[in-house]
Amino acid sequence: MIEQLFTSRPRRRQKPLCGVWYRLHGWLCVLPLLCCAGCFDSLPGKPTEAERYRRPNTIMDFATLYKTHCSGCHGANGDWGPAPPLNDPMFLAICSDEELKKILTYGRPGTPMPAIAKQHGGALTDAQIDSLIAGIRKTWGKEVTPSDPPIPKYLPPEAAGNVEAGKDLFASHCAGCHGNAGRGGDMAGALNDSGFLGTVSDQLLRRIIITGRPDLGMPNYRDAGSKPLTSEEIADLVALLASWRTADEGLTNETDAARTSE
Amino acid sequence: MKQAIGKLLWWFEERLELRTSLWTVMRHPIPRDLRTQVGWLYVFGSTAMTLFVLQIVTGIGLGMVYVPSAGEAYESLEHINYNVELGWMLRAIHNWSANGMVVLVVVHMTQVFLMGAYKYPRELTWMVGVVLLLLTVGMAFTGQVLRWDADSYWGLGVGVAMVGRIPWIGPELVELMLGGPSVGSATLSRFFALHVFVIPGLLFSALAVHLYLVVRKGISEPPQPDEPVDPATYEEKYEAKLKTGDPFFPDVFLRDAAFIGLTLLVVVGVSAILGPDGPGIPPDPTLMHVEPVPDWYFLPAFAVLALSPPSLETAIILIAPVIGVGIMLLLPVFSGTGQRSWRRRPVAVLVVIACFLCYGVLWELGVQEPWSPHMTAWSGEPVPPHMLKGLSPKELQGAAVLQQKTCRNCHALDGLGGQRGPDLTDVATRLTRDQLIRQVIQGGGNMPAYGKELNRFEVEALVSFLETCKPKGYAAAESSVVTDRAD
Repeated sequence: MIEQLFTSRPRRRQKPLCGVWYRLHGWLCVLPLLCCAGCFDSLPGKPTEAERYRRPNTIMDFATLYKTHCSGCHGANGDWGPAPPLNDPMFLAICSDEELKKILTYGRPGTPMPAIAKQHGGALTDAQIDSLIAGIRKTWGKEVTPSDPPIPKYLPPEAAGNVEAGKDLFASHCAGCHGNAGRGGDMAGALNDSGFLGTVSDQLLRRIIITGRPDLGMPNYRDAGSKPLTSEEIADLVALLASWRTADEGLTNETDAARTSE
Repeated sequence: MKQAIGKLLWWFEERLELRTSLWTVMRHPIPRDLRTQVGWLYVFGSTAMTLFVLQIVTGIGLGMVYVPSAGEAYESLEHINYNVELGWMLRAIHNWSANGMVVLVVVHMTQVFLMGAYKYPRELTWMVGVVLLLLTVGMAFTGQVLRWDADSYWGLGVGVAMVGRIPWIGPELVELMLGGPSVGSATLSRFFALHVFVIPGLLFSALAVHLYLVVRKGISEPPQPDEPVDPATYEEKYEAKLKTGDPFFPDVFLRDAAFIGLTLLVVVGVSAILGPDGPGIPPDPTLMHVEPVPDWYFLPAFAVLALSPPSLETAIILIAPVIGVGIMLLLPVFSGTGQRSWRRRPVAVLVVIACFLCYGVLWELGVQEPWSPHMTAWSGEPVPPHMLKGLSPKELQGAAVLQQKTCRNCHALDGLGGQRGPDLTDVATRLTRDQLIRQVIQGGGNMPAYGKELNRFEVEALVSFLETCKPKGYAAAESSVVTDRAD
């Protein structure tokens, strides 16, 4: 039967096809294959080096490190998070790399900023912290135009602030939004509140007074009042806020009762 | 020349006599009813078989490079992905055709069930088909183990823990599977042997029986509601249908070939676009950030095991599969005759819908993993900016406390974050301030107490933030009992 198939089966005659197509139809089949063979390396499914698994402590890429370890509090793009913005050129201009490294390594005790260095219970190695700092500077650090008077120093002056002087400064620079004696106003909430003061450090208060919160609309040291605040004046303001913290006002009695009953 | 080839073929034909064996099989008649569009429902089995052949071909290729040793398997997979010319494509095709095979086997089975093709005289074909399904699942599981990444390592752990629960012989079986009391160097070689020799061998044998029965008993004709199966008359009627039937080759075969071609194109296309699966995180038990997930076909089982209460676990692991497989195997015994058409078998249709619904819902739960905290959410999922607008300094600090105390690992904001606990986006509409404070400090309802983790300032800040968590225009929750605080 197979022999018959090969020898005696009547073959259908090929219809004569149009000249060009007839001559090229073999190539038309082969060409797509050749094209595919040529672009195998550019197919989207080919695994790239970037997809290869890397151990967490070998990841040095800033975007990944920031997204995994910082964006929760500091916002996806370095602002609009509950914690102060990192994409603030003024902050980056006054805060040195050493200071940044100290904050990242040890955290800010008494505030929600945790230590992220491995040796202090965090997840990142020293090299990763360096890469993070370099990335923050490269991505968000900008040349800040020199101002007169210069931007107050990040670290407080040695002399302690004066609470009484702070009261006057608060009335002239802060009360407009935060209300009399920091009890809250129409524009911004209360500062004289242990829930706030008990979870921020004096250094953080100083930083926020200097840089403001551009993302939330809080003005910086220059725009808050009629004239810019000096480094000492900021220390006075911080001293005033710290004195409110010690007074421990604003905490409701239920919380205390619940905690002491345990 | 042609005559010479013809003579050569004839020489073989005289000895092999394929005319009376293979050719007859190829030309076996198929009922004419398949000529209509309904014939397209009969292509899934042959396509699944073709994908199995593709698995063998790509599997041989992979077997030439893959090293089945616990220490080197992961590296050899990376080697295939990155260094071997088109090795990634080979892995991708092996993976996606395996997925396709599982899908097609299930689709084929559903079609056979709905069209009553398992009834007399094809009961045994169905039973062997059930065995084929189990072997396919076995291939899928052992294949997942050979991928030897964290998912496969922990998946193996789950599988072994299930086997270990079998009464009396459990521990011995575990030792046999693992080549020792725990996952070690002998484990992977055992699974390699299972995946490459034992299960494919069994699959081939069962497939041979299945195909023999398909050809011997003939393709079932599309069911008619007014033609129930009666063993006394069925054969006679079927024989009559075959007299006017079409030969399988080439008439019916062309439709199979078309669908097979389309499926192969899809498999290759998906492989080219999506690439191979893994290997993901290395199988290193010291890596703490691993959140292992099984391959998609096992996700419903994953969900069932995660959600079932401990008291039911053994029953679900040991008894439910036996009952399920038993029902499938014995199905033709219980309903081997009578009505075949799905139009007259509402229970059958409902069973199929219920099965797929359960599978789908459990699958979705397996994807979401609401029972498992998302361990990086606290530092990686930003607080949605719209929830921060207009907040007081204390409330902002509260949001930072929420993040830092890892609440987000279990509680989502705007759907982002863990789902172990309720989404907090509108928690203020459900809980009053007092209730929030109590919940944070004392925990309850599956939530641990955070009283010792937070100082009172943090509790105050956190709760004041939570009080702002409600949609615009919605009232805050009110206490149902109004107490007179002056008392």
